[in-house]
Amino acid sequence: MMKQLSKYLKYDLISLFAVVLTLLGLAVAQKPQAVQAATSDGKTQVVFWHEMGGPAEQALLKIVDGFNKSQDKYEVVPAYQGSYDEAVQKIIQTHGTNTSPAVFQSFDISTAQMMDSKYTTPIQKFADADNYDLNQISAGARAFYAKDGQQMAMPFNTSQPVLYYNATLLKKYHITPPPVSPSYSDISRVATQLYNRSNHKVKGMTVQIYGWLLEEALANARTSLTNNSDGHDGTPTKVNLNNPTTVQFLKWIRSNIQQGNFINYGSGASAGTNQIAGFLADKVGMFIQSSATIGQLTANNKNKLGITYFPHPDGTKANGVAIGGAALWISNDKPQNVQQGSFEFIKYALNAQNQAQWQKATGYLALNKDSQNETVLKKLYASNPEAKVPAQQLATATPNKTNSGILMQGMQLTRELEETAMETVYNGGDINNALTTANQSINDNLKLTNQANGVKPK
Amino acid sequence: MLKNVAEPEPESLDVTPTTPKAKSRTKVFALNAKDKYYALLFLGPSVLLLALFVFYPMIKTLYISLFLTSGLGKTTVFAGLGNYVRLLTSADYLNSLGVTLIYVFAVTILTIALGLLLAHLASETLPGIGIFRTLFSATMGVSVSVAAIFWLFIFNPSTGFLSLLSNWLHLPVINWLTQPNTAMVAVVITTVWMNLGFTFLILLGAIQSVPTSLYEAASVAGAKPGYQFFHITIPMISPTLFFVSIITLIGSFKSFGLIDLITKGGPTNATNMLVYRIYKDAFYSGNFAQASAESIILTVIIALFTLLQFKILERRVNY
Repeated sequence: MMKQLSKYLKYDLISLFAVVLTLLGLAVAQKPQAVQAATSDGKTQVVFWHEMGGPAEQALLKIVDGFNKSQDKYEVVPAYQGSYDEAVQKIIQTHGTNTSPAVFQSFDISTAQMMDSKYTTPIQKFADADNYDLNQISAGARAFYAKDGQQMAMPFNTSQPVLYYNATLLKKYHITPPPVSPSYSDISRVATQLYNRSNHKVKGMTVQIYGWLLEEALANARTSLTNNSDGHDGTPTKVNLNNPTTVQFLKWIRSNIQQGNFINYGSGASAGTNQIAGFLADKVGMFIQSSATIGQLTANNKNKLGITYFPHPDGTKANGVAIGGAALWISNDKPQNVQQGSFEFIKYALNAQNQAQWQKATGYLALNKDSQNETVLKKLYASNPEAKVPAQQLATATPNKTNSGILMQGMQLTRELEETAMETVYNGGDINNALTTANQSINDNLKLTNQANGVKPK
Repeated sequence: MLKNVAEPEPESLDVTPTTPKAKSRTKVFALNAKDKYYALLFLGPSVLLLALFVFYPMIKTLYISLFLTSGLGKTTVFAGLGNYVRLLTSADYLNSLGVTLIYVFAVTILTIALGLLLAHLASETLPGIGIFRTLFSATMGVSVSVAAIFWLFIFNPSTGFLSLLSNWLHLPVINWLTQPNTAMVAVVITTVWMNLGFTFLILLGAIQSVPTSLYEAASVAGAKPGYQFFHITIPMISPTLFFVSIITLIGSFKSFGLIDLITKGGPTNATNMLVYRIYKDAFYSGNFAQASAESIILTVIIALFTLLQFKILERRVNY
């Protein structure tokens, strides 16, 4: 009996040591190490994290495949990381470990966070060393990811918010379509006519409860959301959501709601899906959404699709809107040759031919100016002339500090609060109260964020 | 670091009181050196693992909750109880607390009531009862993601089973998941359905272990089946009912998978439960300090409820 027990204990002791050793081993493995950067065939391995799913992923993998075959020095290894929001945390928390990516895709509203992290090497550095001409890439797209004249990241999948209308329905009810750069009253006019002439069968318009669209309305009216020029002149320390431009935008929506022209699909992903379904089923005549939805709207549409620029307030000229989408960043925790490989891949992904192909496959805009001469795009425009509108909107706007995105940390929460304010107004609440409440919460949060990040209030 | 609240823990299952504690405590100190060595040897591995995966994250969470965290998730400025004060005075957080309580009580009560009903029905010895027992406990084998997709199909406003049924009965179609009240109902139904298999099985086992002599004696004395159920079955299975109620309550406080897959906390935060909020604050907004404070508050709430259940229910439990 005793013998058995001691034998048993011996094994137990061994297993205890095994556990301890395994844990120690894990702890050691967690320590940052020099990254094994070569594949078996001598190519330098470049790990690429992205968040493209569905058809966009297929198009992206084609670019990666093309790059790997085009040269024999580098091997790009793509890895899908799920949603944009979650990827940001994964990228930041793995930095400095051997699981972190060499090059990664991160979305527009994480830009300030990525810039402030100091975890990346600016694209500008590689472009200067390589004599790569950044001017061949759309200035409007680049402006969002630049700070103090330095290109921090390379814009990649890029979209513009545009207004879609059902051209067939407008023709049926003899309504003059809105101009290519419509004012608020142009859109209200069409919405009212459509609602009345269809005997209230078709709602005139909808604007999704989506913080991005509110921010774009400000950009298009040359209004900053935050001080320090939306973060382009330093870290924002104050947000001014309750400004005349926001009020004007919400009043415009409110007046359409009151006249019955407007249908509210709510917020979130289901709202996006439902409004597209409503649009395709002739339930609503106009809506504002990312240009990246073009593919979905042309493929399944029995009607003719019309597209205009984002609407602007009456009596002013459209300032142009900021881009949406994501950019490619190069991590600075990898050896020089891996970083160079990342840049070579970015150059390849942004060349005229790949960008033209990318726009056709996904609806994201081709950012290389020479892409417009590619046959792929010429053919696309010949069959769908309206597909040209988003690119035109991007090209005609002169980038300035109000239409180049908002460089502020904590944008995810800011958007949530903006959406609560929109929801309140859509449901009949007082515009001023809703904006004051949201503004207060956003500023409280910003103060804490800045305090945590060591930004001194000015 | 937040995992300890986000996942069901096996040790929380151990709620049945064990041998008297006072006696064994004195014995531990009376052990001789060799026995102490063995005690250490036996306890060592589990203590080590618990320390690494439970105690360390818990203490770290408490630590982070007292700071502000930067955009890189690092603790930078000491905030004391600032995070807690802000949370407990924010209308948004109190709303989450409210909807969580509604959800937890609805789920716990419905799960136990339905589980008890099914277990009672299935405890009869009839030909083919095995088929029903298998069916009633079948949801135990369904994973959360499969259940979520299954129910999403049922709730779909245009093609779902419920909307087809409404159309057939000429009732208005409800868009279940986009209205605050119906979204909560939908999530509760789904969770109860998920919980039912396990609860049913445990309660069936308990009912079957009640000695048949009690029922025979009651029948001889002229007691009706309903009377027998409330005066024999319920008291005899009360320890099991107690166990199941605690498990269900704690489990529904921690509910995450179904919320994430069905409503994502919406619409307008109507189903934004405490655990889902922690996840969103930490991994969407990157606000680890606030998320840590929320985790600690949740831990305290669950501890309080468990304590309360022990104090109140234990007295009525017939061991």
